[in-house]
Amino acid sequence: MLIEAQAEQCTFVTRGLCAASVLCQVEPVGRWFEAFIKRRNRNVSASFQELEDEKESSEESEDEEYQLEEFPLLKTLDPKDWKNQDHYAVLGLKNLRYKATQKQIKAAHKAMVLKHHPDKRKAAGEQIIEGDNDYFTCITKAYEILSDPIKRRAFNSIDPTFDNSTPSKSEGKDNFFEVFSPVFERNNRWSNKKNIPKLGDINSCIEDVDGFYSFWYNFDSWREFSYLDEEEKEKAECRDERRWIEKQNRAARAQRKKEEMNRIRTLVDNAYSSDPRIKKFKEEEKARKEAEKKAKADARRKEQEEKERVKQAELEAVRLAKEKEEEEARQQSLLIKKEKEIQKKAIKKERQRLRTSCKNWNYFSDNEAESVKMMEEIEKLCDRLELASLQSLNENLAVSTKEEGKSAVEKQIIEVNAQLKKEKEQEEARMKQSTRGADNSAMGGGSGSKSWSEDDLQLLIKAVNLFPAGTNARWEVIANYMNLHSVSGIKRTSKDVINKAKSLQKLDPQQKDDINKKAFDKFKKEHKVVPPSVDNAVPSERFEGPGVEMSPWTTEEQKLLEQALKTYPVNTPERWEKIAEAVPGRSKKDCMKRYKELVEMVKAKKAAQEQVLNATKTKK
Amino acid sequence: MAAIGVHLGCTCACVAVFKDGRADVVANDAGDRVTPAVVGFLEKEVIVGLAAKQSRVRNATNTIVKVKQILGRSYGDPIAQKHITESKCTVVEKGGKPKYEIDTGETQKLVSSEDVAKLIFSKMKETAQSALGSDVNDVVITVPFDFGESQKKALGEAASAAGFNILRMIHEPSAALLAYGIGQESPTGKSNVLVYKLGGTSLSVTMIEVNSGIYRVLATSTYDGIGGVCFTEALAQHLASEFQRTYKQDIRGNARAMMKLMNSADVAKHALSTLGSSNCFVDSLYDGIDFDCSVSRARFELICSSLFNQCIDPIKKLLEQVGFKATDVNQVVLCGGSARIPKLQQLIKDLFPEVEMLSSIPPDEVIPVGAAIQAGILLGKENTDLDTITIECSASDMLVKEIDESGNKFTVLLPSGTPLPARRQHVLQAPGNISSVCLELYESDGKSSVSEECKFAQVVLKDLQKKTSGVRDILTVLTMKRDGSLHITCTDKDSGKSEMITIEDTS
Repeated sequence: MLIEAQAEQCTFVTRGLCAASVLCQVEPVGRWFEAFIKRRNRNVSASFQELEDEKESSEESEDEEYQLEEFPLLKTLDPKDWKNQDHYAVLGLKNLRYKATQKQIKAAHKAMVLKHHPDKRKAAGEQIIEGDNDYFTCITKAYEILSDPIKRRAFNSIDPTFDNSTPSKSEGKDNFFEVFSPVFERNNRWSNKKNIPKLGDINSCIEDVDGFYSFWYNFDSWREFSYLDEEEKEKAECRDERRWIEKQNRAARAQRKKEEMNRIRTLVDNAYSSDPRIKKFKEEEKARKEAEKKAKADARRKEQEEKERVKQAELEAVRLAKEKEEEEARQQSLLIKKEKEIQKKAIKKERQRLRTSCKNWNYFSDNEAESVKMMEEIEKLCDRLELASLQSLNENLAVSTKEEGKSAVEKQIIEVNAQLKKEKEQEEARMKQSTRGADNSAMGGGSGSKSWSEDDLQLLIKAVNLFPAGTNARWEVIANYMNLHSVSGIKRTSKDVINKAKSLQKLDPQQKDDINKKAFDKFKKEHKVVPPSVDNAVPSERFEGPGVEMSPWTTEEQKLLEQALKTYPVNTPERWEKIAEAVPGRSKKDCMKRYKELVEMVKAKKAAQEQVLNATKTKK
Repeated sequence: MAAIGVHLGCTCACVAVFKDGRADVVANDAGDRVTPAVVGFLEKEVIVGLAAKQSRVRNATNTIVKVKQILGRSYGDPIAQKHITESKCTVVEKGGKPKYEIDTGETQKLVSSEDVAKLIFSKMKETAQSALGSDVNDVVITVPFDFGESQKKALGEAASAAGFNILRMIHEPSAALLAYGIGQESPTGKSNVLVYKLGGTSLSVTMIEVNSGIYRVLATSTYDGIGGVCFTEALAQHLASEFQRTYKQDIRGNARAMMKLMNSADVAKHALSTLGSSNCFVDSLYDGIDFDCSVSRARFELICSSLFNQCIDPIKKLLEQVGFKATDVNQVVLCGGSARIPKLQQLIKDLFPEVEMLSSIPPDEVIPVGAAIQAGILLGKENTDLDTITIECSASDMLVKEIDESGNKFTVLLPSGTPLPARRQHVLQAPGNISSVCLELYESDGKSSVSEECKFAQVVLKDLQKKTSGVRDILTVLTMKRDGSLHITCTDKDSGKSEMITIEDTS
């Protein structure tokens, strides 16, 4: 319970608050925190929301108390001519017009009713015209129009106080902004869109100006002219008439709307053409383009020059480098020449020395013939020996006795001779090789690299014999055969085969035989090493009937045969001969027969087994 | 659209999803609502969760536990050092940061704590996605109150690497409050809530003031030394001594046997929260001997009695720190798995006999649920990522003097700590038989008693119509702006008479 106030007490503030607010850290958690942050960011406060609401409502009440302007001619208005009256003026909202809020209109109507209602006036002792002819009907009508948003819009559209005029181009020439700014401001009200761009001033940037004009060129107006409809739809008596009226009205409205659009369009066109900023921008754009062009041309020229310069410099550099190189080469060659000369001289000198020293010793011999031979050798030495070895030899000779000298010279001679011989051999070898290479290339044609192994040679001979001359596309067939049967894996064309065959023909028959023999030996050897494997698949001859008489095979013979079959696998050449050899007392034919018999037996056995198996299966 | 809340603890991680207006914890692929925060590296794969925890006995050197302890810390940090010495996995220094050295047979690699946290987050994401059946990225992550910038950054990086879009990081105690919706119904009123969190390896107590639905942490303290593991360890030690008594074998030196025993003790501890007694059974614990031992709850409480005292002392200290009596606390929120222990709840109840103790949500799920609720609030909002912020609050209680049978009485009109701007509306009552009413307004810091000096204004309504019976209602509206100026309007409801004053802030 609150306490009672003493008589002398009154409302007052003793002192201010000490530390009314403090800063606190709070946790960013929960929905109230979110709400708080949202309010703070938007600078609104929930706690003051109500206060603000109150303030707003008080403001509104102020609006309601807007000084209504009495329309002096109100009483003279003819209710029948309501269409031509200014509804705003009638309700006393002459100055607010389209800006008046619904609330204001309502309030104004209320005030007017209170004042002008026939009952009120009657009470005041005024004379009332009975029926609809009283001017109060005008007030009712005005409220009817203005309280309905659609009707109000229609009326607003043809607001009689609205200045529909548009300034011409010449008018806006000197003081463009003064002339056009109010016109655009005036026409703003028709826009469906909010945020209407302002005309701006001479310093507006190009984006703003562009935005302004594009807005006005695409102007979206809500202005419509249904208020001016000549016929009233409601008056129609039947549907057809109503339709006709509607059609008429629609046509009229469209016409007016078109006019209106044209009006706006003219306005914007006029403004655009006389806008000093547009001119300025155009000029600027032109200047900029020119500058750009110029800059581009400059850049291109500069680039060209730069390129030229670089090219020149490069050429110069190349030339200089070349000159320098040439100079160096010349120097080098000169030097080499000089050196060579010096060496030549030295060698000459040394040779002379050797000759003289040898001569001094009478070529280390006494008889003529020997000395002549020695002389030849010495000359050879002089020719062959290098400067250094000549020098050393000469020195040797200078310090040594005759005998020693002789031995030294002889040693040198032997060495030189050896060297000469070696060179000769090498030369010969090279010669041989080159001839062989030539041979090879002649034999192998383009594919000399493909070597012919002995196996292949044998195969070739076999093939040539197999496909005698006259066979259709003989060499192709031979090549194919080779490719099929060769173990070397080298692919041969018919050309290769022809070449080889020709070269083989060239060889003497003895050699051919040799090759054949060698190949055969090798074959034999190879196949003996091949791990034995039994392949029952290829019995190559027809099986002869069982009626042929023969001596029965003993177990021993049987064993031997089996062993031989294993030893000589199917691909062994002359297999059966070898097998027959392995089984004493049996011919080749016998062996083959026996083998076939065995195969038959095995097969029969297997078939029987299978039959039994099948039988058991079916039984099951 | 769904959002999730993830809580990554030292021992366990838990995820809750916010869907259709409510938040709920989702179970992982193993069917557990809480996933152990254990990562094991095997030769070819990495396993997270229960499987990793179970295989730790065999793979101790390549299994990482308690990664939260070193997350975002430098190598030299004392807490990191402590973790490193305890860890069975080798930790090396690289660029000042601790890295785990993982050796899985053929390959050796260094794994940073962020990578480990990332693996756990990925697991939580998978869990949430399998429950929701759709991709989910928006997440609110909880962090302990004492987490520093670098730790938050490391946690954030780990979560981002796992493909999360972090809406906000909130503190664990605030999440706990949010889970119970404290202060969320109406934005008026003021209360003090104690959040008691006993996790796996740490204990934290926090006092939060809830004013106008906004949470403010008054004081908090964290004790790293004590947690659920301590209880398990105590129980394991007891079991070891039992084993020794029966079989004359000391197994305390055998790390593997002790680890097995720890696992068994952990299970037994959990069971003891609901059952009167539990059985510990370990096959081939040591030397081929199977161990079987029954522990009653009373026995367990006896073993851990000193631990319980350690767990309760921080509450007393916190109350001292903020200068509260036990009656000043309006609610107690329990969180952390170990807050399930019945004895502990009993002890807290003894400490706050008249206080409502909130434990309806399983304590280890409270924090993720709160995080998920926050995620639901933030869902679809922009610029959600903000940290703790500073706002203006009223500094002192605004009181009005009233009389009742016992004498003078002060009623709080605007409590201290109310976020500004604030508006409070009260209907005060005066006897109907008096013609004038006086409202004497006082301010108080809430601690010392109100004296005459505290009076700063009075509002008098005069010439009211006397009524023969009943009471008259006086509507009092206090509004305080952010600059601290106070505006008071008093209106007699019957006559509409009103008086108003404005007090500017002098400080």
